[in-house]
Amino acid sequence: MKSYINNYEVLCDAGDTKGLMQAIYAKKSAVSIDVSYIKDRPSGLGKMHYDNIFNVLKDVTSKVLKASNLENFKDTLLILGSSVGGMQECEDIFYSQKNYKNINPNRYSMNTLTDYLCKEFDFYDSRAISTACTSSANALVLAKRLIDVEAYENILVVGADGLCASTVLGFHALGVLSDKPCLPFDKERNGMNVAEAVAIMLIQNTKTKDSMELKGVGASSDAYHMTNPDPEAGGAMSSMRDAINDAKLSLDDIDYVNAHGTATPANDRVEALAIEKLFANDVYVSSTKAITGHTLGAAGAIEAIISCEVIKNSIIPPQTGLQNQENTNINIPKESIEMSVKNIVSNSFAFGGNNTSIVVGACV
Amino acid sequence: MKLYIKDYSTYKSDEEDIDIKKTLKQKYKLDTRRQDAFIHLGLYGAMLLKEKTVIDKDDELYVTSGIGNVDVVQKTNTRVYEQNQPLKLFDFINLLGNTTSYYIASALGISGKNIFQISDNFTFINTLISLYASINHSQKNAILCSIDLASTPNEVIKRVLGVDEDCSVVSGVNYQKFSLTKDDAIAEIEFDTLSYSFDEINNILKDNNTKVIFSKRCDNFFETYPSYIINDAIKNDEDIIFVDSFEDRYKILKLKSLK
Repeated sequence: MKSYINNYEVLCDAGDTKGLMQAIYAKKSAVSIDVSYIKDRPSGLGKMHYDNIFNVLKDVTSKVLKASNLENFKDTLLILGSSVGGMQECEDIFYSQKNYKNINPNRYSMNTLTDYLCKEFDFYDSRAISTACTSSANALVLAKRLIDVEAYENILVVGADGLCASTVLGFHALGVLSDKPCLPFDKERNGMNVAEAVAIMLIQNTKTKDSMELKGVGASSDAYHMTNPDPEAGGAMSSMRDAINDAKLSLDDIDYVNAHGTATPANDRVEALAIEKLFANDVYVSSTKAITGHTLGAAGAIEAIISCEVIKNSIIPPQTGLQNQENTNINIPKESIEMSVKNIVSNSFAFGGNNTSIVVGACV
Repeated sequence: MKLYIKDYSTYKSDEEDIDIKKTLKQKYKLDTRRQDAFIHLGLYGAMLLKEKTVIDKDDELYVTSGIGNVDVVQKTNTRVYEQNQPLKLFDFINLLGNTTSYYIASALGISGKNIFQISDNFTFINTLISLYASINHSQKNAILCSIDLASTPNEVIKRVLGVDEDCSVVSGVNYQKFSLTKDDAIAEIEFDTLSYSFDEINNILKDNNTKVIFSKRCDNFFETYPSYIINDAIKNDEDIIFVDSFEDRYKILKLKSLK
């Protein structure tokens, strides 16, 4: 059974899908410098313009529903990927009241965002995946597998994370938070930008005139170290290889890798090595996190949407900010490349050696 | 959808009150530093399973919970907002669902696919469906860890679960090793994606002769309770139909003992 990506929409620091793609091709980072989270220390963060994350979820979901061939979501499974769920609102209440007494239990736990969407849209069923930065990529993996076994015909995959102190301070404590817009794959990179986004995709077992195909998925867990990837890049290679095999494609069929590319020293070194070992110099690679920042649990879905747009536009995104490429054995374009794009690998990697890759392709 | 259970492990805090961290350190020689009670509970169940069965490094791992790690959320927020202290690195790391999965995978020696799935409705059955869909493709075995920690603040956990104030909540960790093949299986479990109304459930069960157990949301409750019920039935060599409920919908699990 094939899985088709039939509708999607995003809200992130660079705006909606259209605004995001314009920023990517114009090499205009949407990351801003913030001094509110960490005293006396600027941080590069990707902030959306919005009132609260719940309204964004409702608005973006409504847009996807309106553009779809569905009247409602009564026969649709919701799979939401998020790293910290409702933490943003939880922090706000705690901050103002200094205790948990008045926390709304429906907006508390990791699956809070799922519960909210279920109440608003009456989904048939729901679940949340929380594997940190691979959360919504793993939601896509699960969506494909559930369509494979004909468990559901319509699956709404949501990637969502709102900016909050826990993640900003947490990545700062890890020593990987950049004080400027991040520089993926550059020798001078000094870390990542925590960011927020809501990215939503409708995956169905039926093809429409605008369909893209979720051709393959691969997931591995190298369990090498809690926060660092396997230095030999075994886990990253394995997830990419599995996704390409699952898509029944060969390495030569892949035109572009939308890299995880967080701009942390460890991730980019290992991911570049994995791409070098697997593809040599034969595939274009770039990281769009230079534009969006790292949207954590939303990253897999937002980058899958970017991959769909790259295929539709037939333009490979350039690497924003790149001056001195660290690993020169991979092919990172500094300017946009106009070409026919048929298949893309999109990578998402997370703590604990949790590696996920998906293959998005044009329908044949 | 049908799966075979090769082995299981069970721990429920109201049945056996032990110092889990001490047991992990002394009996199993595990390094428990930088971890919290939620992770320790998951690891304890993993070690009980490892004592009984062979774990393959390619086995897939699914960890599921009804409410997740509430303690660590309280701890980080108290530290940052009440005590005005910087967030501790390992409290941040322990906030993330796949941290628990990582420690369990490491303890079991698993390097296969590793997923942390959470939902406060049909938690166990929904994860079982995810697991089935995955191994139906990979043809591998899968370990499912169902974990819920009841610790302070209990009042918050009850509100998250939507249970009455006088309902006692307990901690539980229950594992099963699932396979697509019947060889050496101790039980067979059937389930599907459908949910039913109360009338439909009554209709389905009206001519049934198998023991039926309904989900309870009171007395020694935890959200992944169905996983405990399954293990208890296997232990007692029973065939059961388990009916899980959420609001006004019901889902069914059918367990057949093969011992």
